[in-house]
Amino acid sequence: MEDQFATLLRPYLRFLPEGEEVRPDARLRDLGLDSMQAIELLFDIEDSYQVTLPDERLNDRTFETADSLWRAVDEERDSGGRS
Amino acid sequence: MSVTGAPDVRRLLPDVLEVAREHAAETDEDARFPTEALDALRRSGLLGLLVSAEHGGLGGTAREMLEISDRLSRECMSVGMIFAMHCQQVATVVEYAGEELRASLLPRIARGEVYIASVTTEPGKGGHLLTSQSPLAGDGEWLHLDRMAPVVTGGAHADGFLITMLAPDADSPGQVSLVYADRDQLDLEQVGGWNPLGMRATHSVPMKIVGDVPAAQVVGRHGEFREMSTRVFAPLAHLGWATCWLGAAAGALSRTLRMFREPDERKKRDLRSELLLTRLSRIRQRLDTVHALIEHGLVRYTSQAEGADLSAPPVQLLLNAVKLTASEQCLAAVDELVELTGMRHGYLRGSKLALERTLRDLRSASLNYANDRLHQADGALTLMDAEVRFA
Repeated sequence: MEDQFATLLRPYLRFLPEGEEVRPDARLRDLGLDSMQAIELLFDIEDSYQVTLPDERLNDRTFETADSLWRAVDEERDSGGRS
Repeated sequence: MSVTGAPDVRRLLPDVLEVAREHAAETDEDARFPTEALDALRRSGLLGLLVSAEHGGLGGTAREMLEISDRLSRECMSVGMIFAMHCQQVATVVEYAGEELRASLLPRIARGEVYIASVTTEPGKGGHLLTSQSPLAGDGEWLHLDRMAPVVTGGAHADGFLITMLAPDADSPGQVSLVYADRDQLDLEQVGGWNPLGMRATHSVPMKIVGDVPAAQVVGRHGEFREMSTRVFAPLAHLGWATCWLGAAAGALSRTLRMFREPDERKKRDLRSELLLTRLSRIRQRLDTVHALIEHGLVRYTSQAEGADLSAPPVQLLLNAVKLTASEQCLAAVDELVELTGMRHGYLRGSKLALERTLRDLRSASLNYANDRLHQADGALTLMDAEVRFA
């Protein structure tokens, strides 16, 4: 997971104590990501990485941890899922 | 309908239906819990419908749960809801409780000794299911509960409670644990009364709940209620509630049709009236729409056994649409029945059609987990599914 991705996630995790880094196994729901924010985060990712996550990836598993979300983004980048 | 070899649970129903019918008007009038119907459910073994035969239960299915909820709700929607919500709790215990809790609790449920009430509401968050502000304390061996609950259906009569609490050491309100507690493990204080418009026999009172339970009485892993909710708790709530609402409306329509077909009544009314036929058709259309949605939702729910992912937005949207649509259409159908039958049969409290009670009961449907809140969630889910796939 690259640093830039952790920085992007940071504002959506309002229960992650200030100064603590976003770890790959950070559970996003536990740290404050709800369904409304999930869609905002998705738009943010798509803008920042110029990728589109396919609908079938938009489930609880993808949004479970920082790493699972990062892997989804990274795989789409590699497979050329650019918007 | 039942699995081959399993007992036909519908033969257990007539006694319960008769008791529910007998006390429906009186429990509504007095806003009191239908203890007679609950006792009949205990005797029938139906409280253990979803408990496996291995634990002494009937080994029934979700489909049978819905069939029975429908039949009960045709007589008394409060009794139907009490049964459906008990089954929802039992299904969650069956699926997620540890072996120790299952071995001790499930046989008691099967014997009719334990009716389980659900405690998910909290002051300040309303019915929001997936958060909690009441932390579980504990030392590893025991869990300490101390919370308020503004609405506990059957709280004064339940033998056990499934309670959402904030997980020990939680970092956020979304890490919710589910804990089972026997009535005698808790100090329960009823802190208010119950005098609502409808659903009066559910006796859903505010309670203060304090107690200590062994750590093994956590259901599922700490902080993991969200997953349990996505897979079992919420789908069975929506399917169960929607079925009760449909049953209540179907019962109202059935009573009305039987009256229309009585020889004396036939003379008073032109059954070929275009207005009457059109209204009946519209009412029936509403109910068939709800029925189809419930059937489809049930198929998706049971497809988990083949590995289907219920967290996918199209499936969540479908299961929410079951709740939203049923809550609107069943109420609208009975409202139209009142219009059709008029002041005497439709509006008076003493009418044998009981449309007035059914209408009041069904008015709760949109508020029973508020439709406004569900629409917010559905809006976000809709944005997630740009391809617009259907489950």
